[in-house]
Amino acid sequence: MSKKYHRFYDGLLSVQENWLNKMAKKGYRLVRTGKLLYEFEECAPGQFEYRIEFIGHKSKEDVIDYCNFLEDLGYKVFFKNINLNYSIGKLRYRPWAEKGGRIATNSTTFDRELLIVEKKNDGKEFELHTSYEDKLKYCKSLRNAWLCFFLLFAILGCVQRSIVWGIGGLLVLIPIIAYQSEIIKIRHNAKIREW
Amino acid sequence: MRDNGKGGALTEVTFYILLSLYTPRHGYAIMQFIEEKTAGRLSLGAGTLYGALNALQKKGWIAFHGDNEGRKKEYLITKAGKEIAKKELLRLQELIQVATEIIGEG
Repeated sequence: MSKKYHRFYDGLLSVQENWLNKMAKKGYRLVRTGKLLYEFEECAPGQFEYRIEFIGHKSKEDVIDYCNFLEDLGYKVFFKNINLNYSIGKLRYRPWAEKGGRIATNSTTFDRELLIVEKKNDGKEFELHTSYEDKLKYCKSLRNAWLCFFLLFAILGCVQRSIVWGIGGLLVLIPIIAYQSEIIKIRHNAKIREW
Repeated sequence: MRDNGKGGALTEVTFYILLSLYTPRHGYAIMQFIEEKTAGRLSLGAGTLYGALNALQKKGWIAFHGDNEGRKKEYLITKAGKEIAKKELLRLQELIQVATEIIGEG
């Protein structure tokens, strides 16, 4: 019997990840994702584990290549949107993406900014990023995405002299500070060790 | 990615990936090789392995092996990669020698 949930986590990646792992511990395995939808099927409790990865800064080719790689390793991959948007055929410029920014369309990574990676639990730890160097790169991609929102809010706030943008900007500062402190922590550790 | 092309040290992850590819292996087999050889001490995340493989390919130290018609891509170390690995071995031997002189045999 399948179970359907409608939830929306926005940029709260770890909250979403924890929820999926809690469901898996209870014996529910993800089978389908939609905009707000998570559909589960019953499985043995603790049979699967989930990790969420932000991929909004990658090109379409890189995402496909990465997904194939993960599937070759025996993982299962789901796409998930990070925000809600019901328009069709929209272009998005992402200045924070690799190589000086990218334009996201519906056929690229727009609405598929997140990967949910499922691994069959084999008793070993499941982490996608293990070396400091790689963790640093990943954290930076997240921080830059948020930083870009902050700048956008700041500019809009200044131009329109509206408090709404100011509040938005302040909210966006929270993840920026969180990721930045993570980056500082990793850099500090990386001075002595590689992983 | 740090490399010893100009005399610097390889990271442990880089060196182990190069060593694992003296025989053709796909991603999962590389992970297994490293875990086995280090008795689980070094366990590689998929994202980290992916990034490292891409970087090593760009450097020309490893390459795809075979026609890759099958689903799983296999990699193999190149001549340039083997030279880098040999240099790293010499660097480590020197390090071990110095460390042994000071600390004594473990």
